Amino acid sequence: DSRIQYERVGADVTMKCGSMDWDAAVTWTANGTDIDDSHLNGSYLILKNVDLTRSGQYSCYEGSSWHLKYQTYLKVGVPPKEPVLMCRSNNYPKGFYCSWHLPSPTYIPNSFNISVIHGTREMVCEKDIFPKNRCHIRYLQLFSTVKYKVTLTVTNALGKNSTTLTFDEFAIVKPDPPESVVAKPVPNNPRRLEVAWQNPSSWPDPESFPLKFFLRYRPLILDQWQHVELSDGTSHTITDAYAGKEYIIQVAAKDNDIGTWSDWSVAVHATPWTEEPKHLTTEVQITETTSTSTSSFMPPPTTKICDKGAGVGSGAVAVCWTAGLVLAAYGVLFI
Amino acid sequence: MAAADTPSAALRRRDLCSRGIRLARKMRSDVADLLDIYVEQQGLDASISVAAVEGVPVAAADRWDEQTGAQRLLDNLAAYRAFRALLAQMLEELREELGSADAALGQALAAVLLQVSAFAYHLEELLQLESRGPPAEEGSGLPAPPHLSLFEQKLRGLGVLRELAQWAVRSVRDLRQLAKHGSGSGPASGPAES
Repeated sequence: DSRIQYERVGADVTMKCGSMDWDAAVTWTANGTDIDDSHLNGSYLILKNVDLTRSGQYSCYEGSSWHLKYQTYLKVGVPPKEPVLMCRSNNYPKGFYCSWHLPSPTYIPNSFNISVIHGTREMVCEKDIFPKNRCHIRYLQLFSTVKYKVTLTVTNALGKNSTTLTFDEFAIVKPDPPESVVAKPVPNNPRRLEVAWQNPSSWPDPESFPLKFFLRYRPLILDQWQHVELSDGTSHTITDAYAGKEYIIQVAAKDNDIGTWSDWSVAVHATPWTEEPKHLTTEVQITETTSTSTSSFMPPPTTKICDKGAGVGSGAVAVCWTAGLVLAAYGVLFI
Repeated sequence: MAAADTPSAALRRRDLCSRGIRLARKMRSDVADLLDIYVEQQGLDASISVAAVEGVPVAAADRWDEQTGAQRLLDNLAAYRAFRALLAQMLEELREELGSADAALGQALAAVLLQVSAFAYHLEELLQLESRGPPAEEGSGLPAPPHLSLFEQKLRGLGVLRELAQWAVRSVRDLRQLAKHGSGSGPASGPAES
């Protein structure tokens, strides 16, 4: 019959060939390959100081008949180290979740058990289907001064370990980052960028539990961020952008009254509007003799080259070659 | 049901709620500072656990989202009236213990007491608007203070301030719900619903 045997890395392992006598003639195989007699003590298989490569199926056959007398699956591993546990509420006031992982692998199966205690009350942490190292709890009470105590125990065949977190309701509140951040130039305003975003979709009731926001922005050519804190609204106009410079912008969110700031949102890039240099446009038009339309105020060549036709300050990712000339000219002025 | 559901009453309610929210947030900030001073001056460990203290209104609420606006106001008013008496008691005990030696703590405590009184008055105004009128205060509001050792008094004080800090946060949320839903029945779908 088939069995599994767990052993620690570094252990000495002795396997008996079922009910066979010590002096019986046997053959041992590991994953179908005969094992050298040097590992045998009579009919016992001796594996010294096992490492992970020793994991596998071990079989013992009676010498003459080749009857299978014993079979086991050896799994070499280690007991679990103290797990890493984190709890957070990104959907306050609905509840919170806890997630965990092991700092290093054990190489054998582990099981996790989590307990959540609030005062005298034991609460149920419902395991998520995905990811499987996470569970969530609904708040049964709000505004309590009583701390939550969460204990995670990890167990495998070679040992167990645990960790405990204690926290109060407000401390773990951390929203997800704002979503759908968009930054656009403002027509005819070379120093402005309009930024808009949305509340994270996981925040259940932004009207009753409003978020405040922190916006940071900098031109790509500089390392230092500018910061703006906004107590309401989901948009902001940057009014001190360097003309013609591409900016990187991010937003973070926090409950107005409790908890900590979210991680930064996905970064967006935008360049403020710049005026089309008319003299340059005219020169370029003269050099293009065949491909332009008939209007005397033709759209500048940049419109054809760029994907978005509103001119240089369209916010498009692509940089037109003529705009590059303009930017280079501005760069000389500003750097 | 509140009779004051006219547009002007609704505007007045929103205005009072907004002001109340600002008062509560300022109060919370000052209570946080007071807690720091209190813990330091009283020689306590900030992380010490304090069991529930008799007579201190507990901010924790089950089914908070299902409360009506009127219930929120009444609960808040009862709480702040109790805190008013508790803080006055603490101030008296502090004066007996320290005389006038610790001006900073005494001043901070007195300032918070003033804010608590102001907030209680503000809640009474809101209740008037809801045509309910504030309930009469019950006698001195608190039973006679239990006889406690000095250390027990300090722990009790810590419990009072911590609970007050929670109430300040809860009051902001309560007033926001009140501004949103009025004083009638609770919201159609509260945040705790899936």
